Amino acid sequence: MIASKKIVLIGHFGVGKTSLIRRFVENTFSEDYKVTIGVHISKKTLELSEDQSVSFIIWDLEGQDDIKKTRVSYLLGTHAFIYVFDLSRPSTFENLKSEINYLHENYSKIPLKVVGNKVDLVNKEYLTQYNDEFDDLVDLFVSAKNGSRVESLFSKLAKELI
Amino acid sequence: MNQDEKLSIIKDILLTDEREFTSSIEKKIKSLEKTINEKEKLSGKVDPIIDDKLNNFIKEIPKTLGPTITKTLKEEIKNSQDAVVEALFPIIGKMIKRYIQHEMKLLSDKINTQVNNTFSFKGIFRKAKSKASGVNESDLILQELSNTKIEQVIIIEKGSGIVLAEFSKNITTDEDMVAGMLTAIKSFVEDAFKKESQNLQHIDYDLYHIHLQNFSSFYIAVVISGAYNIIYQDKLEDKILDFTSKQKVSDILNNKTLINQKLEDFFNDDSI
Ligand SMILES: Nc1nc2c(ncn2[C@@H]2O[C@H](COP(=O)(O)OP(=O)(O)O)[C@@H](O)[C@H]2O)c(=O)[nH]1
Ligand SMILES: [Mg+2]
Repeated sequence: MIASKKIVLIGHFGVGKTSLIRRFVENTFSEDYKVTIGVHISKKTLELSEDQSVSFIIWDLEGQDDIKKTRVSYLLGTHAFIYVFDLSRPSTFENLKSEINYLHENYSKIPLKVVGNKVDLVNKEYLTQYNDEFDDLVDLFVSAKNGSRVESLFSKLAKELI
Repeated sequence: MNQDEKLSIIKDILLTDEREFTSSIEKKIKSLEKTINEKEKLSGKVDPIIDDKLNNFIKEIPKTLGPTITKTLKEEIKNSQDAVVEALFPIIGKMIKRYIQHEMKLLSDKINTQVNNTFSFKGIFRKAKSKASGVNESDLILQELSNTKIEQVIIIEKGSGIVLAEFSKNITTDEDMVAGMLTAIKSFVEDAFKKESQNLQHIDYDLYHIHLQNFSSFYIAVVISGAYNIIYQDKLEDKILDFTSKQKVSDILNNKTLINQKLEDFFNDDSI
């Protein structure tokens, strides 16, 4: 059995949404920053067991500094959201709570993973500083650059969606 | 200098010229050949000329035919007013229809530009086809597509863009990606042109026309190669309606294998 699931990545410009997808789908990373325009679709199938696979149809949306500006029609029928912010740029998580609340309020039934990307750029002390803020909001710290916990983000999602 | 010597000199001069002439001709032919071979280059040169001629012709119509038409019309109108009204009625109807079609076309062009500016979808079909058939892309563009063919039929869930069923002939594109992209484009267009309550009915991409038809929880995308005009569109619409109602598609949406089979049975031949 293959189940197809639509996953949408959201978050501010430049937090690494496209990079995370590329790391997951192609296992590559590039330092170049190419702004995503419109929507970019990619696909990757994960095998969970011998007779169960999940095909992720991943929607990479152009970044928005305010989640409310995201085109609602792109979010219809989504099976899971991945909300990405940039650990190295506090401006991308200063409104984290209200952005997550917005998703909870409007899409309460849809699973959501909140990830802080670019963990390779920060150290433990830095993260401790934000402990309280991140504590119950953030699911994972990841790095598209070195691949840390990217695979586990998606395989966790896959299991939850089946 | 004797006669022979003179002759020899003249011959020399003549032959040299001839040789030069020949080689210059040869050069010209070579470059012509090259231009012709590079079809794109040629069409770049020829197209403006054809366009020019066409434009001129259109511009000349009022001058050449105008007076005759006006004169005939004036007389006709004077002689038989009722008949004229009778005769004009369908024409005016057609004109209004054409005007609306024109407006629709403008709108759809506007949409296409928007879409092209927003999505990097272009080329995906042509690339896939050229990979499959081993011909290069520009040859594919030039290839005359005379008969219309159904290349792929995808039943797509609205909103999510997830493929519910699919049937394809030679196309090697990934239907999941196509369905996602189409759904994104559709969402974008239907959002952006909300006030025109525009329903995206088809998208042109390179060699393909993608016919889109809405149902309540899903829509059907038919990828077509060859001519796609209003008549074809109309017939295809009926065929799709026929398919969904006869096969009770709404009732079997969760049985992918079954719909896949039905799609194949129904759309395998190109008759519509
Ligand atoms: N150091 C580091 N840089 C990253 C990481 N992920 C993305 N980047 C860089 O951040 C920039 C923006 O990434 P991109 O994926 O285009 O962001 P998007 O706008 O959210 O899609 C690019 O220059 C990437 O190379 C990461 O995990 N670590
Ligand atoms: Mg991006």
